[in-house]
Amino acid sequence: MIPLKIHTRGAATGPVLEITGDLDHATAPALRQCLATVALTPGQCLVLDLSGLDFCDSSGITALLTARSLATAQGADMALAAVPANTTRILRITGLDRVFVLHPDTETATRPPDVPVTGDRPA
Amino acid sequence: MDVRRRNNVRVTGRADGPVVLLAHGFGCDQNMWRLVLPALARDFRVVLFDYVGSGRSDPGAWSEERYSSLEGYARDVTEVCAELDLRDVVFVGHSVSAMVGVLAAARAPERFSALVMVAPSPCYIDEEGYRGGFSAEDIGELLESLESNYLGWSATMAPVIMGNGDRPELGEELTASFCATDPDMARVFARTTFLSDSRRELKTVAVPTLVLECAQDVIAPREVGAYVQAAIPGSRLVTLDATGHCPQLSAPQATAEAIVDFVGAAR
Amino acid sequence: MCRTDQVPNEPSDRDQDAGATDAAFTSLLEDSAEELYEQAPCGYLSTLMDGTIAKINNTLLDWLGLPRQRVVGRMRFTDLLSVGGKLYHETHFAPMLRMNGEINGIALEIKAAGGSRLPVLVTSKVKTSSDGEPILIRTTVFDARDRRTYEAELLRRHREAEEARRQADADRARLQEALEVLQQSLLPATLPAVPGMEAASYYHTASPDLLGGDFYDLFPLDGTRWAFFLGDVCGKGPKAAAVTSLTRYTLRGAAMHDRDPVSVLRTLNAVLHERYNSGDARYCTSIFGFLEPDGDRTAVQLASGGHPSALIQRADGSADYLPTPGGMLIGILPDAQFTTARTVLSRGDTLLLYTDGLTEARIGPGRDLYGEDALRDFTRAQPPAGPQALVAALTTLLTGFGDGLDDDTALLALGIPATPPAAVGDPLA
Repeated sequence: MIPLKIHTRGAATGPVLEITGDLDHATAPALRQCLATVALTPGQCLVLDLSGLDFCDSSGITALLTARSLATAQGADMALAAVPANTTRILRITGLDRVFVLHPDTETATRPPDVPVTGDRPA
Repeated sequence: MDVRRRNNVRVTGRADGPVVLLAHGFGCDQNMWRLVLPALARDFRVVLFDYVGSGRSDPGAWSEERYSSLEGYARDVTEVCAELDLRDVVFVGHSVSAMVGVLAAARAPERFSALVMVAPSPCYIDEEGYRGGFSAEDIGELLESLESNYLGWSATMAPVIMGNGDRPELGEELTASFCATDPDMARVFARTTFLSDSRRELKTVAVPTLVLECAQDVIAPREVGAYVQAAIPGSRLVTLDATGHCPQLSAPQATAEAIVDFVGAAR
Repeated sequence: MCRTDQVPNEPSDRDQDAGATDAAFTSLLEDSAEELYEQAPCGYLSTLMDGTIAKINNTLLDWLGLPRQRVVGRMRFTDLLSVGGKLYHETHFAPMLRMNGEINGIALEIKAAGGSRLPVLVTSKVKTSSDGEPILIRTTVFDARDRRTYEAELLRRHREAEEARRQADADRARLQEALEVLQQSLLPATLPAVPGMEAASYYHTASPDLLGGDFYDLFPLDGTRWAFFLGDVCGKGPKAAAVTSLTRYTLRGAAMHDRDPVSVLRTLNAVLHERYNSGDARYCTSIFGFLEPDGDRTAVQLASGGHPSALIQRADGSADYLPTPGGMLIGILPDAQFTTARTVLSRGDTLLLYTDGLTEARIGPGRDLYGEDALRDFTRAQPPAGPQALVAALTTLLTGFGDGLDDDTALLALGIPATPPAAVGDPLA
């Protein structure tokens, strides 16, 4: 059992939660508690960086769904970044791969929406 | 359940001799028979046991429900007899155990050939026309003092027998837990014993019976011995010149002789 | 002992002085051996072997409130005791004294002056003659009132603790019983007999409360069709179990009216989604399907709501998943999509449904997930011997996972026996 650690930082697009360790029945409440303290303004995007995620079970999935609901309730979006292979598989089986927005990494996830890939900044 | 282990059954004496089953009463355990054992073991196959709740019986087998009635103890007896397949048993019961023997013989008459009652009493409380030796208040006081005497009781329950040079008859294998009983179990046994009334059961006895009483016994006065003898048809009463309630300890030779004579005559 | 006055001494005459001090001290206090005996702070008693009192000190006589002439040679030790004491003396004290030669610190009660009972501690020792014959018993009696008070207090506290423990045990037993009853209502007690088919199941909950989130069922709809389902409510414990119950009965109800498995799951979705909005977010995944047994073959039509695919073991020993991609978990989205699949089971085929407790079990030193590939390979390695054999093999596998298995696990296997039954129309259980 690897304990859950959540590190919050800010990005241009909104808060980023770096989640490492096991997200399961025992640790999911901690994530939910953390989410409750995250402030989102309309138009922002809450990013969950799952690159350090070791394990995720149905309680973990529920916590991710809760994150999505919380974001939506505050007029914001939610995205998952760097989802590990096992978790991607679960998202695929449960059809959540078409519900969550998935990004390969945090960089892509926190790229402001109207910035072209070439890197030109808007005026 | 292994009855031998449950009741701490011990078999000694002559393998081909008549079977004598020694049953302790309220107070201690099979060690009470220690001083009469050598004499009995010479001629008989002697079976000793502890009732569940006494001595070194299996405490896990104890239940308040079962051992709150003398029938529960009678079942211990018949179960020991069944386990060892004992036949023609001479049941020797001390104090309330004599009544347990009456109940056991009624349950399994085919197993018992004779009864020896050592300082028996079928009922301890006086009533109109009957002297048991104690008033109802006395017994109430006794039970109440048992309740409140918990620590005192338990503190006295586990004396250790040291090697005793002046008592060679105690032999090599001194047990370390003479009279060690759980106080809760002792309390239940005491209640069951002193509130029991087995007088009606006496008339069911259908085997030769010896009643052994002590000349001075605070627990079972002379009237009780006479009552028991009169109630059991054909029974014999022998009064031992001894004081106290445990002639097998205070007058072991006379007690053993009386038993040996009786078994010889009954055969 | 303290010196009450200074006696002048010459340094060279020490011994003489000590003797003089002793004599002076003794005469000062009038401390004869007799007085030490009679006025001792404890009671002294000597009896013959039959208990007759031969000698008794003043202290004890005072406690008893009796004159010496009434006691010595006339009363026995047991006459001084309360009823309980008499009894204890006969049944324990005297035998132990006889066996041991001495006995220490026995708590008894003596009948005191004024009719009350005085708690005492008694120590007795047998004096033997030069040939080893016991001739008398010497007894010391200590006033134990304070000790008795202390003991009474300890006893009271002990009783309170005992009572609390008994209560806790009773509560625990009641709770355990209630949980068992609840658990039984969540699963079918036994699987019904489907004509021409065989069924087997397995259920294990990791929850210490005995309430799990996995569920399954198999039941008849009418004379020709049967329904089955297996699923997994997210989470563990009583809250998951509550949703399990709701799910099971919703599916059973919907199955009676809908002939389309997707429609059945949609009904469940609506019910759970409504709950989702009202606070406790619970979803479940499930496969639901219909069976139409027809002699040697059974048509299967099923739908999956976000649940791991069913596995089919064929009579020829092959095993493959029956894909149902794209089905969504149930209860989260108002318009969840569910995917159907159809297949036909023939003689010797077995359809296996399972929950992810099996595939997500952690095995090996690296605690890797067991996985779907491993499950398929395991099934391929089993000789196709029907549902019960397959479930038995998987049960052994699961038991072997040890503590790598920490989630609820359910299995449901449905199949057609390889050889037809002996009598026509005789359903094999």
